Amino acid sequence: MFKNLVGIFWLVFTASAAAHPVIFNDGIVVSSSNMESYSDNQLLYTFTNKWSTGVNHWRFSQGKEITELGLVRLNHLLWRRNADDSQANIYLLSGIGMMDSENDAQGTSEAYMGGFEFDWETRTLFTALKHYYFSGPSLADFSMTQMRIGVSPFEAGFEELQSWLMLQVMYMPEVDSTIVVTPMLRFFYKNVLWEFGSSTRGEWMLNLMVHY
Amino acid sequence: MKKTILIMLCTFSLSAFAGEITVKVSGMVCSLCAQGIKKKYSEIEAVKEVKVNLDTKLVHIQTKDGMDVSDTQINNLIKEAGYNVVSIERK
Repeated sequence: MFKNLVGIFWLVFTASAAAHPVIFNDGIVVSSSNMESYSDNQLLYTFTNKWSTGVNHWRFSQGKEITELGLVRLNHLLWRRNADDSQANIYLLSGIGMMDSENDAQGTSEAYMGGFEFDWETRTLFTALKHYYFSGPSLADFSMTQMRIGVSPFEAGFEELQSWLMLQVMYMPEVDSTIVVTPMLRFFYKNVLWEFGSSTRGEWMLNLMVHY
Repeated sequence: MKKTILIMLCTFSLSAFAGEITVKVSGMVCSLCAQGIKKKYSEIEAVKEVKVNLDTKLVHIQTKDGMDVSDTQINNLIKEAGYNVVSIERK
């Protein structure tokens, strides 16, 4: 019973990072997610309403050791449900490129990334779950899971400022056993979204995303 | 006098072709994501103005005089923006 409840909670009250993997046809999305422990910068072009491609740079910092990945991305909108007052999506995420680590044992090599993202939102509720898996010949495989829940105190109009109170939970079990919880504020106005917050271990977070 | 009548006739006949289209759309909950709808319709030559209302889930399209946007085009553009058309109403 408890496991079921945890499972339901996981699925319903979870979330993703700031980036939208696939937007409208012929749309470009630029996004930057930044914490002290990692950064994720993406430039994606949606070439049909179900597929996008682009470039993605990751930077992971574990103590003084920094690992960077440069990937060419291919994302797919696997499933979407448009309801009257909500929208739900499942995306498949992939990337291939190179990694570079300050760790001599890892050095420079090819790198691969796979993952998925689920989100469900109304005008005042937002939930999402994102999972990434990173691998490569000389890369110690690791994963990143991000969950989010958000509440907006009011329904803003189409060209009005929308405000959200968000909570992000991030877990990278192969890198750090700590579950990082980050309360944050999210705003969006027209085609620009920005978020900022601070984690329970004092890490700042700053995210920005623009749709063109 | 004849010229005046002719100009008036031309004006009225062209105005008759200018129209308003109201499209009911499902899944339109995020204003950031729905910007795509405005962008897609603004690219169409026949479209004079586009207004999106998240409360009513309606997209109001005003066409230029003497021009029109077909139902197929409306459906395709909404689909390309990531949403579904529920209904199309013309005035």
